[in-house]
Parts: sequence; structure tokens; C-alpha cells
Amino acid sequence: MPWGNFLLSSVTSSGAYKRLQAQTDNIAANGVGAGKVINVNDLTTFPPNTSWLVTYPSSGDNSLDSQNPDTFLKFQIIRLPTELGGSDKSATAFVAYSKVCVHLWCSPNYDPQKSTNSTYETYQCPCHGSIYQLPTKDPKTGDLVDAGKAIAGPASLQAFPTNAIPMLTLTADSNGDLYIEPPRFDVEHNGVLGYGRDYASYQNYILPVAEGKQTP
Amino acid sequence: MSQPKEQENVVSRLYQWIKNGLDRTVYMGIQYTYPKRFVSPLGYLGVLTGIVFLVLGVTGGLLMIYYQPTLSGCGSLTCAFASIERINNTVPFGWLLRNIHYTASNAMVLLAVLHMYYQYFSGRFKIKNEVLWVTGVILGIITGVEAFSGYDLLFNQRAGLAIEIGSSLANASPLVGGTLRLATFGAGFTDFVLRLYAAHVFILPMIMLILVFVHFPRYLVFDLPVISTVVGGLFLVAAIFPVAVGVGYSPSNPQLTIPEWYLTGIYALLRTEFDKFVMGGLMPALLFLMAIVVPFVDTSKKLNWKDRPFFTALGITTIAQVLITTAWGFYINPNTNLPTLSRLFVDPALYFSSMLGVTVLSFAFTYAFLRYLKAKERVRRAVAPMSPLLTKKWVFIIFLMLVGAQLALNFFAWTAALANLNAMTLFDVGAILVTFGVIAHLYRYSQSLPF
Repeated sequence: MPWGNFLLSSVTSSGAYKRLQAQTDNIAANGVGAGKVINVNDLTTFPPNTSWLVTYPSSGDNSLDSQNPDTFLKFQIIRLPTELGGSDKSATAFVAYSKVCVHLWCSPNYDPQKSTNSTYETYQCPCHGSIYQLPTKDPKTGDLVDAGKAIAGPASLQAFPTNAIPMLTLTADSNGDLYIEPPRFDVEHNGVLGYGRDYASYQNYILPVAEGKQTP
Repeated sequence: MSQPKEQENVVSRLYQWIKNGLDRTVYMGIQYTYPKRFVSPLGYLGVLTGIVFLVLGVTGGLLMIYYQPTLSGCGSLTCAFASIERINNTVPFGWLLRNIHYTASNAMVLLAVLHMYYQYFSGRFKIKNEVLWVTGVILGIITGVEAFSGYDLLFNQRAGLAIEIGSSLANASPLVGGTLRLATFGAGFTDFVLRLYAAHVFILPMIMLILVFVHFPRYLVFDLPVISTVVGGLFLVAAIFPVAVGVGYSPSNPQLTIPEWYLTGIYALLRTEFDKFVMGGLMPALLFLMAIVVPFVDTSKKLNWKDRPFFTALGITTIAQVLITTAWGFYINPNTNLPTLSRLFVDPALYFSSMLGVTVLSFAFTYAFLRYLKAKERVRRAVAPMSPLLTKKWVFIIFLMLVGAQLALNFFAWTAALANLNAMTLFDVGAILVTFGVIAHLYRYSQSLPF
């Protein structure tokens, strides 16, 4: 029974999630990109190794969304550092992490300073210090793997698959505008908010969708 | 008992009419007494718990009018927290209602626990009372859940901690974990606050009312002076220790807080950082399971605690363990230079060895004390019956003085309310109720004086 799928304003009248433009919240923390639709071609407003807070599902009113304190509707869209392909003009340069830590529901924050070392311990929770990694390069294949996996703190000690942060699937249209694909909130796909995600799904589900391939 | 025939008038006829009308209702099926002299309140702690439940119902119903179980639409604050602040600061008498409701919730948990232990040690829980006992234990658990869901509704930092731990515990339970969390907490804070609100104001109280009808014993004792004093005392405590609204919960800016005292035990268990479900779910469940099973194990005909040393020692052990784990839950390493996680860490070796230690100590202490009592029993002293303390004249004088004090307190409460001195108003109202309790007891006492 999907007891949790009845959140107000989260679905269309037909009961399905909508595909929406990734418009950032109009808040000071979002810097020059605040209140704008993220464009993958715009490297000055949306530079690599930067992050923006977005609300999904949006109520349609950006100023209302920006003030909504429910972190279950909040996601941090991160443009990856350049060495992870962050300057690519495609949706694969972005990841969207949930703002709800899978340990105890606090809100992790993105710290661009910490992406200079090779482990990318950038998405850290202020409560008990759980750290979710950016996708890392597989040394053999060069693919990006294990996005959002907890690598430190209590979240990393939780059983698989409750040790990775839920993510949104992102795509870009021909103008370069970033879109949020309708999520499937279960552990095999986008993850269950506040619970966890099977982190291999970035490879098997989220990445193929972002590249416009058929989903498994 | 023959009473002098009273003169009939409109009031007495109306009273008789109502009384006869109620004769066919369920209320007349309950047997209750208004004791003619002071009896120990330990025997009717259950009734006092019920009275506090009524106080909670009345204040809670009034708080419902102003509380908003929603999150968005109130700016950067959650509407839940903003409405609590409004109740506390602007709504007329909101401060009083909130403080009475808070203190009464603590009092209810405390009274329920005391009630359980008195029934346990006095042996009333066994022999044909098994159903009463088991429903009582379930009522106790629901009381705890009710208190938990109540303080979550504030959506302050402390509520945030409770929400997080509650959801994470639901998550951690095997097999049903995810479904349980989705069913009880929903898909986010917006669902969550509404579901807990429904549970707190309707679902759980209804279950409690149904269980209370099973839990009623044949006799209820309504001791008006004691009830008045207890409710008055509750108001006094609420006035002397008012509770702050706290800081609004914000997941990205958390503070280190401690849960309410009846949950710090579970908090300490969780902080040993063993498996969440075992520590936060199974360990408390073990205690409740033991409580449910005990009347079916302790089947001896002996009721007095002195005659059943093992079960007395068991009861003492649970008290000692609950006290230790509760006290431990309050302790957080004050060294702020350490990372949060190591400040919160409870060393399991120290923790569990001390739990084991108090178990051994409790048993040793209980058996030694009972042996000492047996030795002392042989040299029992005769106690002279107590003579009346007051004469009728003095009862009358004190009565007049108390009525004077009552009037003065009413005046003080009125002026304090006008001057917006919330704590003062609450204190005076509490004092009025306590004074009324003393007056009622004095009246009852004077009726039994031999001269």
C-alpha cells in the first residue's frame, strides 16, 4: 500500500507526478541563480561545483515554494565539479539530492570547499555528520558510480539500501533548460524520501534517463 | 442509615427528578463512593489519572481551536509552530491553557506510572484482576504515545528530535518498517503533522476511552478534597515552572536537545549505537511484555509485597533500571569541542554493566530488607489510637479563615488576570482549588467529631 503517496499538492489530478522545469527557490542561498530555471548551457549563472535549492513537486507559485518549510519537498541540485564532468553542457553534469538525511531527517548541505579532495565529501548533514558522496569515477571504466552513497557518519552504518540519499532524475531539452522527470519514489528508482535508495540505481536508472535512453 | 426527612422545595424536587432520570443510564451502574473520612490516595491513583485526563480533554479541546496542523503558508516558520507561538503570546488565556495542558500531560504519565507500581506492590493486580491489569498496561503505553504525539505537534527543536527518532525507529523495524512509517508518518512533514494531530486529538483518546470502560473496577472512589487539591497542585506547578515554546524546528539548523523525561530512557538506549530496532523497540517492549505477563506468572495467593520477595525484587529492579536509563538520557557530554556524535555516545560497556549492577543490588537489597522486617515483626509495638486534633470551635474558626483566604485569592487572581500576569493568575487559581480542597476536607472532618 503506498500510504505515503497522498501528500497534498504533490501529484496531478490523475494521481501522477508531473515533469517540471527545475526552477530554483527565490532565496538568498541560491545566489545569482535564485528564482531562475537552471540552464545547462549557462556556465556563468550556473557554474560547476555550485548548488541550488529547488522544490519538487512545485505548487506552481515560486514565491510560495520558496517559503515552504517542508524539507520533504526540497532537493539540492548540484552542478558537479569540472573534473567530474561539471562543465559538460548536458543533464549528466547535474545531480539532485534530497534534503532529508536518511538517518534522522535533518537537512544536509552542499559545501563546495570540500570537493577539492578526491573523495568529494561535500554533502554533509549538520546533525550527526553523515556525508553523502558525489558520484565518483570508476577507475576501470571511467563511469560515474555510487552517487549519493553515505560514506561517513551514522547513515553510512545503516543497512543497504537505506544508506544512500534519494535523488531526482534530471533531463535537459533542446534549449538547455533542465527538467525534473516524474520520480518513482521507491528504493530501486529515485529512493524513498527519508528512508533510502539502492545506490546502484544511479547507474541503472537515473543515468540512462538523464541521457535520454530507455529506462529499465 | 436513616436520615432526617428534608423539606421539599423546588431545588430538591429538581434534584430528585434528575437523579431518577439518570437511574436508567450507565452512570448509575458504576458504583462509587465519596469517602466520609480521609483515605490514602494511593488506592485511587487510577481515578486521579482519569481526572487529569479530563483536564487534558478540556484544555486540549480549547487549544484545538487555535492550533494549525499545517506547515506552509506562514512564511519561513511552520504554521504549526507559529500558531503555538500565537496561542502562547496573543490568544486570551492561551498561555494558561497551554501550560495547564503541558503540566497535566506530565502529571498523567507520572500518575499512571505510580498507579501501576502501587497496584503491583499491593498485589491487587493478580487473581481475577488480570484483565484490568493488562488493559491498564496497554492504557499506559497509549498514554505514552499520546504524550509523545502531543509534544511533536509543537514543531519546535525538541519536537523535531522526537519526530526524527520516531520515524527512524519505525523505519528500522524489520519487514513492516517502510509501510509502518508511511502509514503513520506519511511522505513528509506536511503529512506527518496532520496524521499525528488526528491521532493525538481523536484516534488515541477514543481508544483510551474504550479501554477505560474495560479498565473500570467495580468501585470508584471520588474523594473531592483530594481531587481538588491535586488539580490545584497541578496549576501551582504549571505556574511555578511555566514551559517555554522553544525555538522553531529547522532541519538545516538543528540544536542539541533532550526529549521529555518519559522518553529519555529510550533516548539513552538508542545512543549506545547498537541496532536501532533492538535498542529503541525491543528493549522497551521487553519491559511492557514483562508487565503484561506478570499476573499469569505470579499466581500465588499471597498479596502482600512482603510475602512474595521475588516479585517485589523484580519490581524494585524495574524501578532502578528505569531511573538509571532515564537519568542517563539527560546526560550529554558538555565538551563542545567534541563532534556531536561522540558527545551523544553512551558507552555500552559502562551502561549495560550498570544496568546489571542495579539488578543484582535491587535483589540483594530487597531480600535483606525483607529479612530485617521479619526479624522486627516479632517485636511489634502497640499503637495508641489517635485522638481528634481539633475541637468544633477551632474547626469553625479555621473554616472562617479559609473562606476569607478563598475570597482574597479570588480577588488576587482577578487583579493578576487584569494585569496580564499569567503565571500569577494560574498560581492563584491553583491556590483557590487547594484551599477549596482543604475546606472540603475540614467540613468532612468536622462531621465526624465526637464533641
